[in-house]
Amino acid sequence: MTGFVVRRFGQAVVVMIIVSIVIFGILHALPGGLVRAQLGPRATAFSVHELTIQEGLNKPIVVQYGIWAWHALQGRLGFSYKLNESVGALLSQYLPRDLLLVGISLLLAIAIAVPLGLWQGYRRNRPDDHALSALMLVFYSMPSFLLGVILIVVLNIWVDVLPSTATNFGTGLGTDISVLALPVFALCLGNVSYFSRYMRSSTVDNLLSDHVRTALAKGASPRRLLLRHVLRNSLTSTVTLIGLTLPYVLSGSLIIEALFNYPGMGLLFWNAAQDRDFPVLLGVVLVVTVATVVGNLLADLGYAALDPRIRYK
Amino acid sequence: MKQRILDVEHLRTEFHLRSVNVAAVDDVSLTIDQGECVGLVGESGCGKSTTGLSIMRLLPRSGHVTSGRVLLDGRDLVPLSEAEMRQVRGRAVSMIFQDPMTSLNPTMTIGAQVAEPLVIHFGSSKKAALDRTLETLHLVGIPNPRERVDDYPHQLSGGLRQRVMIATALAAEPKLLIADEPTTALDVTIQAQILDLLDRLREELSMAVLLITHDMGVIAGRTDRVMVMYAGKMVEAATTDELFAATRHPYAEALLQSIPQLTQDASARLPSIPGHPPDLSRLPPGCRFAPRCRYASPACVEEPPLEEAAAGHLVACFHPVGVLPGSGAAAAWSAPGAPSGIPEPPLPPATTPLEPSGAPSRDGDPMPPDAATRRLALAAAPVLVEVDHLVKEYPVRGGGMRRRVGSVKAVSDVSFGIRRGETFGLVGESGCGKSTLGRMVAALERPTSGTVRLGGDELLRLRGADLRRRRRELQLMFQDPYASLDPRMRVGSILREPLVVQGVGDRRQQWETVASLLDEVGLSRRAVDLYPHEFSGGQRQRIGLARALTLNPRLVVADEPVSALDVSIQSQILNLMKALQRNHGLTYLVISHDLAVLRYLSDTIGVMYLGKMVELGAADDIYARPAHPYTHGLIQAIPVPDPSIEKAKRSAAVRGELPSAVNPPSGCRFRTRCPLAQEICAEEEPPLRGFGPGHVAACHFPLLSPSADQQAGGAPVVSVTSEPAPGAS
Amino acid sequence: MTTHDDPPPPSQELPAAGAATVATRPSSAPSPQRSGERTATAQGAPRDSEVATPASAWRLGFRTFTENHLATAGLVLLVLLVLFSFVGPLFYHTNQVASSLISQNLPPSGSHLLGTSPEGRDELGRLMLGGQSTIEVGLGVGVLATLFGLVYGALSGFVGGILDAVMMRVVDALLSIPYLFFVVLLAALTRPNLLLVIVVLSAVSWLSTARLVRGETLSLRTRDYVTASQGFGSRAHQVIARHITPNLLGVVVVNGTLKVADAILAFASIAYLGLGPPPPATNWGELLSAGINNLFDGYWWQLWPAGLLIVVTVLAVNVIGDGLSDVVEIRLQKR
Repeated sequence: MTGFVVRRFGQAVVVMIIVSIVIFGILHALPGGLVRAQLGPRATAFSVHELTIQEGLNKPIVVQYGIWAWHALQGRLGFSYKLNESVGALLSQYLPRDLLLVGISLLLAIAIAVPLGLWQGYRRNRPDDHALSALMLVFYSMPSFLLGVILIVVLNIWVDVLPSTATNFGTGLGTDISVLALPVFALCLGNVSYFSRYMRSSTVDNLLSDHVRTALAKGASPRRLLLRHVLRNSLTSTVTLIGLTLPYVLSGSLIIEALFNYPGMGLLFWNAAQDRDFPVLLGVVLVVTVATVVGNLLADLGYAALDPRIRYK
Repeated sequence: MKQRILDVEHLRTEFHLRSVNVAAVDDVSLTIDQGECVGLVGESGCGKSTTGLSIMRLLPRSGHVTSGRVLLDGRDLVPLSEAEMRQVRGRAVSMIFQDPMTSLNPTMTIGAQVAEPLVIHFGSSKKAALDRTLETLHLVGIPNPRERVDDYPHQLSGGLRQRVMIATALAAEPKLLIADEPTTALDVTIQAQILDLLDRLREELSMAVLLITHDMGVIAGRTDRVMVMYAGKMVEAATTDELFAATRHPYAEALLQSIPQLTQDASARLPSIPGHPPDLSRLPPGCRFAPRCRYASPACVEEPPLEEAAAGHLVACFHPVGVLPGSGAAAAWSAPGAPSGIPEPPLPPATTPLEPSGAPSRDGDPMPPDAATRRLALAAAPVLVEVDHLVKEYPVRGGGMRRRVGSVKAVSDVSFGIRRGETFGLVGESGCGKSTLGRMVAALERPTSGTVRLGGDELLRLRGADLRRRRRELQLMFQDPYASLDPRMRVGSILREPLVVQGVGDRRQQWETVASLLDEVGLSRRAVDLYPHEFSGGQRQRIGLARALTLNPRLVVADEPVSALDVSIQSQILNLMKALQRNHGLTYLVISHDLAVLRYLSDTIGVMYLGKMVELGAADDIYARPAHPYTHGLIQAIPVPDPSIEKAKRSAAVRGELPSAVNPPSGCRFRTRCPLAQEICAEEEPPLRGFGPGHVAACHFPLLSPSADQQAGGAPVVSVTSEPAPGAS
Repeated sequence: MTTHDDPPPPSQELPAAGAATVATRPSSAPSPQRSGERTATAQGAPRDSEVATPASAWRLGFRTFTENHLATAGLVLLVLLVLFSFVGPLFYHTNQVASSLISQNLPPSGSHLLGTSPEGRDELGRLMLGGQSTIEVGLGVGVLATLFGLVYGALSGFVGGILDAVMMRVVDALLSIPYLFFVVLLAALTRPNLLLVIVVLSAVSWLSTARLVRGETLSLRTRDYVTASQGFGSRAHQVIARHITPNLLGVVVVNGTLKVADAILAFASIAYLGLGPPPPATNWGELLSAGINNLFDGYWWQLWPAGLLIVVTVLAVNVIGDGLSDVVEIRLQKR
């Protein structure tokens, strides 16, 4: 187990280093380079020169990377002249809202998808399984913003129970809940379709496995079979999948935030893209990537904790 | 009379496949009394496992019991609801399965799994369940149950896992235990231990046991009565002694004859059953065995009823063996499917060209002329393969930095030689390093140290094109007929590939070679246009053999060439291998866990244990006069299809389980399991000593006294004795 | 875990790409003898009808595919959608270049069967035009990403060792960057056109294919028939050409099909974010996005047809992928 954790941690570090090189490369390829990207196109030649010296950008590229990476580690990701705020400050303001949106919708998706997949696997190829599979396939084949629009049409335009935008997020707990409901739901449904498909197939595999036949031969009831023998074994693989899905969930949040005007990192990023505000763009990419890597790491540790074959090694 | 536990009457189980209904079990009846062990034997697909699952009502979704009754203590299980059936499973009837690796839940402790039936059926408290679990684990021979109870299955060896499996089945003290191939996945020494355990438990608990197996040897030693199944039908049923002494059904007779036995005359052809079992969705009319039966007559288009041939001996055949004059010993094998009105199996009359017109039966026929001359010729033949102090170790990495923490000693200082035209058999249990050794001889793997020479040259010294060109001299045959052929290539391309790679001949010549090879291995030439999945396992193994021969190699390395095949098919392949050796002057290195197969096939046998060659000698010597206790134990552990021999055996000859190859025991590696081990065995590694011409063994306390003049050290190039070994035939 | 270099098994299954879909279906006909015995049919001799036909493998595949009625329906639907987009404009002529202020946001009528767009162009004609680029992007990304992922993954898996470790860490790293952020960043750096969209989407889409192919290659590399081939002297390129690639094809084709579906969805997302090719070019995502902007005006004809077309297309491609994976699995079973 310790060996596994140490090695997995090492992998995460290697991945982060490669990602940082990629981002630094993009930064470098920008018209005008790093300084222009920070100061914006209207900066004077003098201030450009000054910052170049100050940031050590006249040094060899390896040293430049070192300086940039060191700054990034300290949370110094540059300054957005468009928003007149440091990128670090912007992120610390927007990131928690994302964690809230993504976290809730992810937990909700797991809470729905795991029992659903378990049930479908148990009822495999029966009418109710087919119906649920078809529904999930439709969700799966739908752009997330269309899903959001359908929710808006039904729950806002037809039955006016929930607000269609999240612009006034942060004005109080009551509003926050009602404001969050639609984005969370829209983000969650897509994931439910994906997780439950996987959970179903994993359940089917487990139900057909030899050890389940042994349990049946002992006289285990379906309830016992599913909860004691199948759930945990199917969860182990699903947990890893959830970790690997994080980048897609975060991508989904970008769209959903744009649709609902939810003031999270996705919206920040989108606005920055339209303004070509590169320090913000790169800072956000770096942060969401770190979030993904950490999420993956946690998922794998969860996997290791669930599977005794790794735990006792 | 003892109490009747199980009474199955006219059971019929059907599966709904895509378009057809298939009766996997057709009109099967059997009874088991208290304390009795009844065997159900047959080849794969004959419906024996399905019978077991039908009794438990554990059939896969597509399967249903369509008629018949399953009376357990007089109560019919067939009409029970699923909830009522759950009360029966695990409490009145338990079942254990073939593969202990996959049959236990990897995420539950073994304690929880053994306790599960108690919790389900008796609602036992934690404390009570734990006590009973410890008791059961102790009963099945798990050492230190209290320490083991919180282990997970992956922490146990295969033998211990099967013991745990048995413990889960016995926790609730069922009246009937169904054991479905309980030892097939285990090594012979472990198999003997597990079967002993089942015997002991049956007596102690006076349980009824239904033992399902394909192995006639297991049947002979462990059962009171036997039922033989073929293609879903019961064809013969009798007490075990009666069945082996007076076999009536031609299938059962042929099955028994086609098993290579340790006492077999190796130079005689092994009788085999032509063709293969029928497809259940397209059965021949009447007797299902008729197309492969040597006694079949036009009458066999009717279905023979299961009738009493003698007291308590049922047989379903119009021409039972030993009843009709002219059948039995004197009969010749008729060409397969010869009688009119009986459809021949559609694809190739696979064995026709190879079936002899007058195969010798077990008791008749003196040694064919070439047996003695073969020994003489071999003794004079030059050495083709020289293996010299071969060592292979695999690093074991662990910890966070994946540094080397040890090594698996797969092969440790092994030396031997193979003469041209000889068959060298390498035997040992799984994990003994025999396959690794085979791969090194086949130049597929580099040794850590030591050398392998083929015709005097060290192939792995060569590089690039030279090595590739020389590779034609040695070819491989594999165990798994499903994995050894590329599923996306037609058989023609598969067989032509070696010729194309080596640039042998032009297109036309290549196709001619392919065609003649197909003739030789007994396959229709139409096979070139077909894909591997269209062939049965035995036919695929023929294709594999043909591929190995395309380049006319000098040496063929065959790793478990028949262990994936049914007995009736296995003998076909063994005969074919022998015939091809004669025709092509081949040299074989055959690797197998089955000493009986090697005894039949080989001139010389090497016995490996945990990376060491512990004994080496002429096949007859190894069998008749083993010097090493391990060899002796291995021979003892092999179940022989003869109740008188089998039931006389006391208990498993080799104790315990294979130690880890990462930290092998000091001194003699076998000492931890050896009945004769003393202190010196732990301190000093025994050298190889001679026990007769070409017979060496490494043991401090051999079962024979070593010959004084023979000092075998270094690299003994074994010469095969020119005298026929006494006591062999 | 001593020899385990990678994240645990399911990591070979790629999130949005749906290797999971490959595993979704239980084997359609559970074999009757579960306990290690082979199925009855596997033992039987080949059927006579198959003996004479050299193309039996393709036939078997085709039969398996058509047995999946949903997949067959998907294929028919996809053909219809392609005809709608590429042949439709030949029969239904509209002006898709000029915008018209007087015919903005008109509801469906005789002259505009599906009404008009916010710029006053005929909506049905726009849907046809948008279908062209959407389908082109889907297929383009499917092909490009699959080819690149195939080569990269096969190389990594076959060569192994340090090269494999480095190549796979790069894939890990790029996979950890949420793809849409990456695409938006790249789109912000350049002016998008259709070709560029295809390239950019392929650049994020090949990663999971590479991972899948590498895993398959690793397992194929140790098959007995590969050992046999090396045993009679085949060179690496011969082994890859004869044994590895043909056996990868099934999985790769299934994966590529699902990539098409994913690419169409991703393209719609990019277009929704306003980063697609600028007008008068269009695509279904952009049309849908325009409909969303007018959501509260009740211009339903701008919203639902585009949304429906996307969903139906992606659905069709997904069920085709399922059908193809049946074909691959049947072959695996027969192995």
